[in-house]
Amino acid sequence: MSGPALRPLEEPLITLEGVSKVYPRVNRPGERLRAFIALLAGREPRDGALVLDDISLEVRAGESLGIIGENGAGKSTLLKILTGVISPSRGQARSNARMAALLELGAGFQPEFSGLDNVRMKGALLGMSPREIDDKLDQILEFASIGEYIHEPVKHYSSGMVVRLGFAVVTASNPQLLITDEVLAVGDESFQKKCVRWLERFLADGNTLLMVSHSMYLVQKLCRKALWIHQGRAREYGEVFDVTQSYLAWHESRNAFERNQRNQETGDSGLYRLESFRFSEGVEGREQAIRQGDPLQVELKLYSPDGRPPAGLVGIVRADGTPIYGVASEVEGVVPRRVDDSHFALSIRFESLPLLPGNYAIHGHAMDPEGMRLCDTAELRFRVRGDSRELGFVRLEHRWITED
Amino acid sequence: MSSGIFTQLVLRAIRSDYLNNLSGFAWLILQPLMLLAVYAFVFTVIFKARIPELEPSAFVPFLAVAFWPWTAFSESVLRASNVVTANAALIGKVAFPTELLPLSVVTATFLMHLVGYLAVLIVLQLTGTEIHWLGLLPAAIILVFLYLFAAALALIFSALHVFVRDLGQMLPPLMTFWFFMSPILYSPSLLPEGLASLVRWNPIAWFVGRLRDALMFDGFSPEWSDLIVPAAVLLLGLLALGFFRRMSGHFEDFL
Repeated sequence: MSGPALRPLEEPLITLEGVSKVYPRVNRPGERLRAFIALLAGREPRDGALVLDDISLEVRAGESLGIIGENGAGKSTLLKILTGVISPSRGQARSNARMAALLELGAGFQPEFSGLDNVRMKGALLGMSPREIDDKLDQILEFASIGEYIHEPVKHYSSGMVVRLGFAVVTASNPQLLITDEVLAVGDESFQKKCVRWLERFLADGNTLLMVSHSMYLVQKLCRKALWIHQGRAREYGEVFDVTQSYLAWHESRNAFERNQRNQETGDSGLYRLESFRFSEGVEGREQAIRQGDPLQVELKLYSPDGRPPAGLVGIVRADGTPIYGVASEVEGVVPRRVDDSHFALSIRFESLPLLPGNYAIHGHAMDPEGMRLCDTAELRFRVRGDSRELGFVRLEHRWITED
Repeated sequence: MSSGIFTQLVLRAIRSDYLNNLSGFAWLILQPLMLLAVYAFVFTVIFKARIPELEPSAFVPFLAVAFWPWTAFSESVLRASNVVTANAALIGKVAFPTELLPLSVVTATFLMHLVGYLAVLIVLQLTGTEIHWLGLLPAAIILVFLYLFAAALALIFSALHVFVRDLGQMLPPLMTFWFFMSPILYSPSLLPEGLASLVRWNPIAWFVGRLRDALMFDGFSPEWSDLIVPAAVLLLGLLALGFFRRMSGHFEDFL
């Protein structure tokens, strides 16, 4: 595959400057009328839902940008502003590109009409002349692989067929800039692969892609940059791996937070206590980060009411609570060092931490001397930094074998 | 690019009306002729309607020449008035010049009624009315301006309908009122003095009057109103387009 074709970079294809979007309240006719009068007078609607707040963005030819965020974060609104379907309440949006947008499967399709009629309409909406559509009809039908159904009304199509047909017209319209909103998720496996192959070639030819997706896999595969929209604001913008990582980490920690809240309600306290639990080597900085492969050491200070040495248990979990590794001192025959009559201390060291980049937590527990009962729990969060593209949580020792 | 969309939208509007019917385009001609027969029966046999300054037999052509242009006008305005709200799904998902929606409906409606109008004129000629075919040229120009007038109103109402949904209920009776306030079923000479001067301000009176002058009477001589009404229509059209475009960026918020 050849590298991206060189294009003059004089002007970005898309520029957003301080774009905000307020959806006016229009539930009651009176509100509708008031908003209309405000529009006529050129005033901003006084109250409404702020969906996007001060987003600035530049997309240049040849870039590929993934837009990620929770449901309702404003991603789709952003795409609508980018494509010109709606105008921003504040700020400016400019674009100069032969643009094709696939905001929803079958947008512009009329269910009563046949697939062929809808291909003509969709093609026209994408800026194709009737001749161009006729010339590329075979190519479109081939890509959509719909067969004789093309003469049936679209209302008889499955959602997969609709999206195949829609995507097929888009591929034929030969856009410079493609904007898609979570569309590929609908097709079946083989069609998704076909689309991804097409998109990769599309990007390799120096074209530009803007996509919204909840599939971090797709975003990482297709995009080089990512924008994380959170509650209408740009929370992070940068290299795709950095942004998707912190997005996933945020999700994981939110899930874990919810789980912790549940755990605290049930409560668990016992005789043996964990007096302190801290990192003694490895993590640094305010965000408690460690580089992949660096040593990590944590120290447990344990309290024992009866003077017998308690057991310590240490476990590493992903930020969402998925256990990765845990080990108890008692199992390995280790007895904590006695500090005084009722206090003990114990450290555990991972010489070269094999965790892959992401957010994690290390749990420390105090157990009874027999290692039977979990009495106290503490948690430390940390982040592993790195730019590994391996998958999963942990790097397993391995080698590739190529000779016979 | 937008011409392709426009063509597709016009075709779609025509097809959704006629092509799904059994005999398709035949209705384009049959329907107006059946209506013509009904009117001829009701107004000449039952009402014995006549125009004072014309022969009794001239009432049906007098009505027909004005009635089909009016039907094209009012039907296209009414049909276009909710076209933006009806295509909410399209507007929210695809970026294209939204004004093509009302304009395509008006165009499709006029094209369909034009076919019927020609059929009616031919049948009138065959049944003994003298149609001045040379008058077709001025008549065509008048119809173009009627089309532009309908397009202007369609732009305004379809944009307004997004914000004021009551328009959908208000417009049909208003159109009926407008129909009876226009000299379509009657000659302006039948009106009492006060009302006659009022009807002169009704642009439809100019359209139907001039169409009759062109097609029924030989005397089509230019008048001042021939400049004023078309100029006013053009001005209204520009204003309507400006209004529509200003509003179209906000449609999505209200749909």
